Amino acid sequence: MSSIGLLLILGFYVLMLFYIAHWAEKRSNSKWTNNPYIYSFSLAVYCTAWTYYGSIGVAANSGLNYLPMYVGPIIIIPLWILILKKIIRISRVNKISSIADFISLRYGNSRFLGALVTFVCVVGILPYISLQLKSISETFHIVTKTASSSNIFTDTTTFVCIALALFASYYGTRYADASEKRHGIVTAVAMESILKLVFFLIIGIYVTYFVYDGFGDIYAKASLLEGFKAKNTIGGLAKGINWFFLCLLSMFAIFLLPRQFHTAIIENNKESHIKTAMWLFPLYLLLFNIFVFPIAWGGNILFQGKVMNSDTYSLLIPQFFNNNFLTVLVFLGGFSAAISMIVVSSIALSTMVSNNFLIPYGFIGSLQNTSPEKNSKRILNSRKIGIFTLIILGYAIYRVFILDYSLVSIGLVSFVVVSQLAPSFFGALFWRRGSKQGAITGIIVGFLICIYTLLIPYAIGISDSTSQFIQNGPWEIALLKPFQLFGLDYLQPIPHAVFWSLFFNSMLYFAVSVSFKGNYRERNYAEMFVDIDKYNSNHEDAFVWKGTAYILDIQKVLLRFLGEAKTKRALSIFNLKYNIDKNVTTADARFIKFAENLLTGHIGTASAKILISNVVKEDKISLTEVLRILEESKENIIVNKKLTESTNELKRLSTELKDANLELINKDVQKDEFLDTVTHELRTPITAIRAASEILHDDDEMPEELRKQFLQNIISESDRLNRLIDKILDLEKFETGKQKLYLSNNDIVKTIQNTLESLHQLIKNKNIAIEFNENKSAIKAFYDEERIIQVIHNLVSNAIKFCDELNGKITLSIVENQDNVEIQIHNNGKGIAENDFEAIFDKFYQSRNQNVKKPIGSGLGLAICKQIIEHHKGTIWAQNTVGGGAMFTFTLPNYNTNK
Amino acid sequence: MKKRHEQKLVILSMLTLMAMNIPLLLLFDSADPLFGLPIIYIYFFTICMFSIVVTYIILKRYHE
Amino acid sequence: MKKILIVDDEPNIVMVLEYTFKKNNFEVFIARDGQEALDILKTQQPDIIILDVMMPNVDGFETLKQIKKDERLNHCKVLFLSAKNKEKDIEKGLKLGANLYVVKPFSIKKLVDQVHGLLAS
Repeated sequence: MSSIGLLLILGFYVLMLFYIAHWAEKRSNSKWTNNPYIYSFSLAVYCTAWTYYGSIGVAANSGLNYLPMYVGPIIIIPLWILILKKIIRISRVNKISSIADFISLRYGNSRFLGALVTFVCVVGILPYISLQLKSISETFHIVTKTASSSNIFTDTTTFVCIALALFASYYGTRYADASEKRHGIVTAVAMESILKLVFFLIIGIYVTYFVYDGFGDIYAKASLLEGFKAKNTIGGLAKGINWFFLCLLSMFAIFLLPRQFHTAIIENNKESHIKTAMWLFPLYLLLFNIFVFPIAWGGNILFQGKVMNSDTYSLLIPQFFNNNFLTVLVFLGGFSAAISMIVVSSIALSTMVSNNFLIPYGFIGSLQNTSPEKNSKRILNSRKIGIFTLIILGYAIYRVFILDYSLVSIGLVSFVVVSQLAPSFFGALFWRRGSKQGAITGIIVGFLICIYTLLIPYAIGISDSTSQFIQNGPWEIALLKPFQLFGLDYLQPIPHAVFWSLFFNSMLYFAVSVSFKGNYRERNYAEMFVDIDKYNSNHEDAFVWKGTAYILDIQKVLLRFLGEAKTKRALSIFNLKYNIDKNVTTADARFIKFAENLLTGHIGTASAKILISNVVKEDKISLTEVLRILEESKENIIVNKKLTESTNELKRLSTELKDANLELINKDVQKDEFLDTVTHELRTPITAIRAASEILHDDDEMPEELRKQFLQNIISESDRLNRLIDKILDLEKFETGKQKLYLSNNDIVKTIQNTLESLHQLIKNKNIAIEFNENKSAIKAFYDEERIIQVIHNLVSNAIKFCDELNGKITLSIVENQDNVEIQIHNNGKGIAENDFEAIFDKFYQSRNQNVKKPIGSGLGLAICKQIIEHHKGTIWAQNTVGGGAMFTFTLPNYNTNK
Repeated sequence: MKKRHEQKLVILSMLTLMAMNIPLLLLFDSADPLFGLPIIYIYFFTICMFSIVVTYIILKRYHE
Repeated sequence: MKKILIVDDEPNIVMVLEYTFKKNNFEVFIARDGQEALDILKTQQPDIIILDVMMPNVDGFETLKQIKKDERLNHCKVLFLSAKNKEKDIEKGLKLGANLYVVKPFSIKKLVDQVHGLLAS
């Protein structure tokens, strides 16, 4: 493969990445860019060239020691449900843009601590960046079969480096607010993660199944090589302890590495994405490791006797078989792994450097006096320059020091340095007492121990075992031997350094924190961090601050960074959220916190605090007072909760009351209507009686016939009145449940027959045909005979009134069902209007509704029938029949169901 | 997600920690082959797979 | 001879009214409900109408509305005779243009006087 050819391929590949980043920026909120899978794959930036090449080198040369790097994350990731969620919430709420921000904010928004953390991260990560560049350079030369050039300008890595720096600085700093999401980068990183895994699996499959005949084949041949057994076992207790510390290291790294903090926390869009990452990311790690063994030992077998850089077996093997395509593919995978690390780390580091060094210790003064546009530009530029510089620095380190350390060892040193942040980081989340002094002391001491036990010896050169310093300790003090500090001699350098540095780091952190009280600001933030779940929605409430501040002053500061429109919008959001009058001029604690948050994204927490405190006057508060306020607010939250519960309970009761009231009013209205109608109905016969009586009284000349007629009217109207009153009383008794039914087993056929007989005359007079199959044998049912006669009488009377005038026909039938008996009475009249099917059973229906032809009757008959039938636990209804006419049906429980 | 389900994940984490370290680890410390790989690798892959599957199930079932 | 139209669906009341007004030298027309009344009014213009409210098909109020539309009946006096004695019913009746609203039960003597009174004005 020629250099130019490979360069072209690389160029094309990088262009494709630019394109993906660009496309993703455009579609910031579509499901393609804002989904849990992109998030989960972006976390795989954890796997760098170290994973891709380095683990094979370790597996081939020293054995299982590459595994702890992946075991650690797999062990700790189930805890993400508690820890990661918490961190993401805190970061989102406080607009944190880096791990330095996170730690410095927690410990009282300390500028110094922020700078310290940044320093540790830069020292730890720069060499790591160099390593990635080294791997790109070396692998490039392997694929093109060229020698590494000592001339910077002809070394292709230089150009790659520059291209990367440009890419990262452009896409990594779109917005002045560093807590804004960079969808472009994240999507590109996710794509690269997928590609590197796929390519790695491809080469794995190739080596296992095409070069050899499967796992078994490789094993059989490898086991014959020397040192096989030793390299593929842990080998005893001491090694086991080493193993443990390496696991511990990677467990911390997955949280603390700037690139991990960035992708997992800063770039997280939705908390629910964690759910997917928690199983997908470990699965990714697992898949990546399946083929490490075969590739490593496949290489060992193939190249036994030769001295090859086993890191690059994945390239050497396909190249050995002249498979150009695969070689290039593998190279691209490794390239992806390297550049995603470089890009993300440099962005993260540059934000840290800008927010914690450049601005707070540098040009913060001038930021206060310039326009927002200029400020944004300066901030962005400082970050861009930061990224560029870091990448170039990394390159310089690589070139100048010509490291011949393996990828793995420098990577591990990097992990150890960054893990110094562990005690203060985890303390920030769980321990309220953790103080700034404790954090600073711990980190500094831990870092110094790292330098002593790792960095210095490595600088001297591990290979240079003749070094006096390493062999005998400084000034011959055996206890201070860098690799056997205080006599601990069964740990290898890395675990040894991990143990001692973290031991002193955490001990000092705890000791100092409990010995010296922190200031109240730390305590406040401690509460806000540890209890984030309580303050999730209104974290500004948790901020304790006393003093004088004016909104206008703070507004001026905000204008410098957010500009006119955004500041206005932010203010109105704040006023809405806390229901504050627009005209209030003084700012309270909540507003202070709110304003600080707004600035944090642009300039970091420390600088934000500095700028705001410059324009407000804070009163000194003692620690005890802060604790008291915090206790109060905690109580308030509990009381609030109880209040809300009581309020809801009250609301519920009040609704119930309203409903009950409405029902009562309803019943009242119904009663009024009923009374209305009753009195009307009663007045009608009374009117007739009175009128007839008056006439009879005043008129002496009335003919006898007429006199008799009027008297008859009086009599019949009196009867009518009486019947009406009876019916009303009857109905009333039924409705109030005072009516007694005398139930017994009766024969319904007989009952019907009896009723029909009593109506016989009326039926004959009107020439109506009655049809009732009288030959039926007795049908038993359970009812009060007198009442049912009343019902049948009423229904048949109605039928007589409504049936056809000329050819009236009434049909009665009985249907026997399992639980009841149905009695149907049909007339061939006009039928009933559909809307009236239910209404006709209402009291006085006919007198209210003018559309029903008013027959002679009270209008109460059907209402009483309904009451009677329902008290029998039956049902009554009306319907129109197909052939014309109306049918009334009612049911009665039969003999079998004894209720 | 309810506290008690979160605790299931915490326990899983602790179990994995103990499984992947001494002394349990040393029980499987052998280079003898199983499915073409040294037993210790198989042990790792199994524990990892177990952890992933259990995490997946717990999240699927109990996360609102 | 004055003409009177009696509209009521209660036969016993109608009987009394018919007898009374015939004795008072009126020409009496009878309708059982509003529809019948309107039919009669197509060809007759009585001097006064006694109108019940609660009737099937077309009720008293509706009937009065229709009467008011008919120009030929402008001079015709209308007297409501109803058991509906609520203020709102009386108001409604008078608003629709009735000349008088009499509540049942009523005194025959008084009613006759009221009718004569209306016809005189």
